[in-house]
Amino acid sequence: MYANKTVALSGVSLHINPKEFVTIVGSSGAGKSTLIRLLIKEEVPTSGKIIVGSIDYDTIDKANIPHLRRRIGVVFQDFKLLPNLTVYENVAFALEVSGVKSKEIKRAVPKILQLVGLSEKMHNYPSELSGGEKQRTAIARALVRNPKILIADEPTGNLDPKNSWDIIELLLKINRFGTTVLLTTHNKEIVDALKKRVITINRGRVVKDEKVGKYSL
Amino acid sequence: MTTFLRIWRTGFKNIFRNAWLSTAATAIMVITILIMTFFAFSTIFVRTQLAQVRGKIDLSIFLSDDATQKQIQDLQTKINGINNVSAVTFVSKGDALKKLENSSAEGKKLAKSAEDIGNPLPASFEVKLVNIDSIGQINSTIRSLEEAKIITDTSFDNRDDNRRGVVENVISISNSVSKIGLILSVLFLIIALLIIFNTIRMAIFTRREEVEIMKLVGATKWFVRGPFLVEGTLYGVFGALISLAIIIPFTRAVSPFLTSKLGAGPTLDYFASHFFLLAGGMFAIGIFIGVVSSWLALIRYLKV
Repeated sequence: MYANKTVALSGVSLHINPKEFVTIVGSSGAGKSTLIRLLIKEEVPTSGKIIVGSIDYDTIDKANIPHLRRRIGVVFQDFKLLPNLTVYENVAFALEVSGVKSKEIKRAVPKILQLVGLSEKMHNYPSELSGGEKQRTAIARALVRNPKILIADEPTGNLDPKNSWDIIELLLKINRFGTTVLLTTHNKEIVDALKKRVITINRGRVVKDEKVGKYSL
Repeated sequence: MTTFLRIWRTGFKNIFRNAWLSTAATAIMVITILIMTFFAFSTIFVRTQLAQVRGKIDLSIFLSDDATQKQIQDLQTKINGINNVSAVTFVSKGDALKKLENSSAEGKKLAKSAEDIGNPLPASFEVKLVNIDSIGQINSTIRSLEEAKIITDTSFDNRDDNRRGVVENVISISNSVSKIGLILSVLFLIIALLIIFNTIRMAIFTRREEVEIMKLVGATKWFVRGPFLVEGTLYGVFGALISLAIIIPFTRAVSPFLTSKLGAGPTLDYFASHFFLLAGGMFAIGIFIGVVSSWLALIRYLKV
C-alpha cells in the first residue's frame, strides 16, 4: 500500500448496509484512516474490491474521482475548511464545485446551516470559530449535497467533551434522516454510549465486528 | 456557464484576499514588462538608426569623360535590370559640381576651384540597392557587364574612399544587433517567466492546503486551476496597466532630451504610431507570463 511496503490494511472484508451507523475503532496506525482514504479514492488498494452503492471503484477513471467525492460526504479531524472563505462560502463551495445553480445554493446553504445550528455565524471566517463550530461547518459542507454516505474521520479528535457530544448528536440526527454514517474514533465513552455497530481494526485487520459493540482494544 | 463565472469571481476574490502576494506578483510583473519595453525600445532605436545609415549608403559608379550618351544609356538600362537594384540615377559632371557646391561651405570653395580648372569631377551613376548586404556582389556584377568599359571606378572598389570598410562594418553591426536583440529578448522572456513562476508558486505553496481541500470536496482540476489562471491573467493585465501608466508620462517627460541628444525622434514616432501594438504587446506578454507560470506552478499540486 505504501512505497516502503508497509501494509496498512489487509484482508479487510466489510459490508455496511444503507442507513446504518457504524463506528470504526482502532488505535493510531491501525488503518482507520487508510480505510477512509480508500473510500474517497485518495488511495487505491493493491488488491481487492471496493463497491459503494452501485459503483465499482475499479471502473472509475481519474477524471471521475471528483464526481465520486461529491457523492460521499467526508468530515475530517482537522476540519479542512478553506480559511479564506466564510462559513456560508465554505458550505456553498461544495455546491459550487458540483455546478449547482446560484439560486439553489442560496436556498440550500442557510437551511443546512440552521440544521447544524450555525445560522448566527454564517458570515464569520473559520479563524473566528470554536472547534465545535468549525466541525459543524465541515459537517454542513459534507451534508449540503445530500450524500448517501457521511464519513466522519475522528470528528471529535480536536474537541472538548461537551462539543464532542454535540457533534455526535448531530451525526445521530443525520443518520435518523436516512444517511449512512461511518464514524471513526478513539473516544471510549462515545463508542460505549452509542450502542451501535462497532468494527474494531487492529494492525490492519478487522478483529471484531459487533452489532452493538463496546470500545475494547 | 455558471461554473465559468464562478471561476472568474473566485479569481477576483482571491486577488483581494491575498493582497500582499498579489501586490508582489504584480510588482514583479510591472518590472518585467518595463524592462522588456525598454529593451524593445532600445532594439528599435538601434535598428532605426542603422536603417538610416544603411539607407544613405549607395553604390556610386564613376564614368569616363569619354563615354558617349549612348554608352551611358545602355549601361544604365543594364544596371537597372540587375536584381536587387532599386534605382539608378545619372549624375552628370555638372550635377556633381552642383552637389559639391551645395554640400558645405568647404565644398563651395572646392567647387569654385574645381570649376576654374575645368571641372575634373566625373559623371556617375548612383545605384540604390534593395538590400545593402549584396553591395559587393552587385558591384562585381556591374563590373563584369559588357558595357562596363566606360566605368573608371566605383565607390566600393575605391580604397581611398574607405566606403567599403564602412559599408561592411554597418552590415555586420546591424546583423549582429538583430541577432543579439533576438537572443536577449528570448533570454529576458525566460527570466521573467522564471521570476513570475516562482512568485506564483510561492502564492500557491501558501495555499496548497486550500488546493488539497478543494480536491477533497470534489472540485475538478479545472475548478481548482481556473481561479489561479484568472489570477495570473489579472496580474498580467494589472502589470501592463501600471507599466503603461509609468511609461506614458515618463516618455513624454524625457522625449525632448531623447530627440535632441540621441536623435531618437524617429523611434519615438514609431512608438507613437504603433501605440496600440505596443500596449497590446505589453498586455499579451503580461497575460502570457501570468497564465503560463500559474499553469506550471500548479502542476505538482493537481496530481490526484
